[in-house]
Amino acid sequence: MPEEQGFVEKLIASLENKNRKKVISKGEFLIKEGDTERNIYLIESGAVRIFYLSEYEEHIIRFGYEGSLITSLSSFLKGTPSEFYIEAIRKTSMKVISKEDFARLVNENSENLRQYTNLLETLISQQIDREIDLLITSPTERLNRVLKRSPNLFQHVPLKYIASYLRMTPETLSRIRNS
Amino acid sequence: MQIETNKLIAELLLMTEQSSSTVRDLKTLSDEQLNYKREISQWSILECIEHLNLYGDYYLPAIEKQILANKSTPNSAIFKSGIIGNYFANLMLVKEGKLKKMKSPKDKNPTRSGLPITTIDRFLKQQELLKSLLNQARTMNLTKIKTPISISNFIKLRLGDTFRFVTYHITRHILQAEKVLKD
Repeated sequence: MPEEQGFVEKLIASLENKNRKKVISKGEFLIKEGDTERNIYLIESGAVRIFYLSEYEEHIIRFGYEGSLITSLSSFLKGTPSEFYIEAIRKTSMKVISKEDFARLVNENSENLRQYTNLLETLISQQIDREIDLLITSPTERLNRVLKRSPNLFQHVPLKYIASYLRMTPETLSRIRNS
Repeated sequence: MQIETNKLIAELLLMTEQSSSTVRDLKTLSDEQLNYKREISQWSILECIEHLNLYGDYYLPAIEKQILANKSTPNSAIFKSGIIGNYFANLMLVKEGKLKKMKSPKDKNPTRSGLPITTIDRFLKQQELLKSLLNQARTMNLTKIKTPISISNFIKLRLGDTFRFVTYHITRHILQAEKVLKD
């Protein structure tokens, strides 16, 4: 995705002079349910998980690690309270891009706007892939689809979290991985 | 013991709301305060709440299942408590603000290191579900519908007694949680 890479690089470059960085340790939250998201984060090292909390358990919907852009998206876009938590899986350092800076960059010229549109299109496709993931009954097939998209997932994220993302028990995940 | 269904539901809803309100206040405390325990054998605030979550994990789906399965059971304006159910519910009821020490089953023991702050949010979500189930049960037969209890599949309690047990049990441990920092 060279074009999006360019956009992200531009984002970073536009931050260099402001240099807003953030480091959180394992178990700390970037945002909790009910807070309003005002930033996008570009992860430089470490890993985070985004999860939804139900009455009974946490459901992981997305991971972020080195190179990922991450935010509680609908809260960021609409200014509504976040439905999700973002928590560091281990010590994580990131660059912080405020909503205002982001909007300014996107609207700077038509080229940026086009790249932003590309980014959104990629995001929508990813969401559809994820929707199909959740409809697939076979645990093995679910794992294969995710590994195709993110071959290095197991290097960044502990197995128990990947199991939650795949909606299966850690036992099932390690069984199908070993078979 | 017998009571009008409407009156019982109203009482239990009030107690549930009071517990939620107390916990929303507790949520403003610091991580250290929420995890503080005077001695190892004593539960922290978060441990009290996690204990309730573990019970909710069992009872809320069990209650919901029976409510969904018994939509057509003829309703009754009066709830009559059962002997065992009344005993268990009263055992949980806090009398004159005094908490007698009780033993919890092993699988409901919440003590583990570093409970996350989401413990509280999860509890508040369970409380909303409990309120919704209480409201749904208003027009149901709380005497005829029965749910199994967590320690045995063979003993079944009348739905009204299950609601009383669950709600009194929550009130008991929320009082315990409030006392952690006071004593």
